Amino acid sequence: MKVVIAGAGNVGRHMAVQLQQSGHDVTLLDQDAGVIERHRRATAGATWAEGDGCEIDTLRRIGLADADVIAAVTGDDEDNLVISLLAKQEFGVPRVVARVNNPDNEWMFNEMWGVDVSVSTPHLLTGLVEEAVNVGAFVRLLSFAQGRARLAEVTLAPGSPAVDKAISNLGLPRESTIVALLRRDQVVVPRGDTVLQGGDEVIVLVTGDAETDVRRALVG
Amino acid sequence: MPVRVRGQVVRIRSRPARGLPSLAVTIGDDTGSIVVVWTGRRAIGGITLGRRLIVDGVPRRVGRQLELTNPGYTLLDERRGPVQEHAK
Repeated sequence: MKVVIAGAGNVGRHMAVQLQQSGHDVTLLDQDAGVIERHRRATAGATWAEGDGCEIDTLRRIGLADADVIAAVTGDDEDNLVISLLAKQEFGVPRVVARVNNPDNEWMFNEMWGVDVSVSTPHLLTGLVEEAVNVGAFVRLLSFAQGRARLAEVTLAPGSPAVDKAISNLGLPRESTIVALLRRDQVVVPRGDTVLQGGDEVIVLVTGDAETDVRRALVG
Repeated sequence: MPVRVRGQVVRIRSRPARGLPSLAVTIGDDTGSIVVVWTGRRAIGGITLGRRLIVDGVPRRVGRQLELTNPGYTLLDERRGPVQEHAK
């Protein structure tokens, strides 16, 4: 796939190396000639370009019209939003991924600005930390399909209404499904007759508006 | 690759995303249809059901449909030719 990465900081460069080594055709764009000079030989053969990703001419010059994916991962949220919108609107790039630097800006990183997938490091880390420490709470791990589907995790507290019930008797809404159970370091593939136990880490896929009902069934 | 499409408004839908408005307008004729999305808007002046127009933009495939985002558009009036031209 042809991937354009706007922003050749640590994040962009690491992405470039990984993707280039996986066989994709990567172009790295940065405004700073010094950055390009310092790093161009250390990126596994990715193509480098100098310019401002917020300018249509720059994006045209680097061949964005042929790209399958653009990742706007500069350290500036405004730039990431502009790059995303231009990529979607002027070049029809099928997939636009953008980095959120300041979580306060996360509300803008969606279809309004051409963003298909937004990634906020603090947000991801918080989710992972919560997953590790929370018992009884409903933790959102990941959302995809433009927020229409979410993966969440609940560690069943002893008082949870789901303890000692078979999955088919939980009353889970149709727009959700339990995809895995982690029990004492073993992954259990759940079936209708699997009986839940206190301490089980339940990984559930939730779509639509089903979250409230899933919460009620697993947390109480 | 930029395209220019002439057609008629056959459907207007509000497509809010996390509380922010956007408009998804289906433009078609008897050969097919394309969806035009205007972000951040609840309505576009002159875009009403049945209105004929020309849109200029770069399409993206979304599922089985092609979508244009915030294209330039020219409203047409059958009797008098182009009424209003709107660049981006």
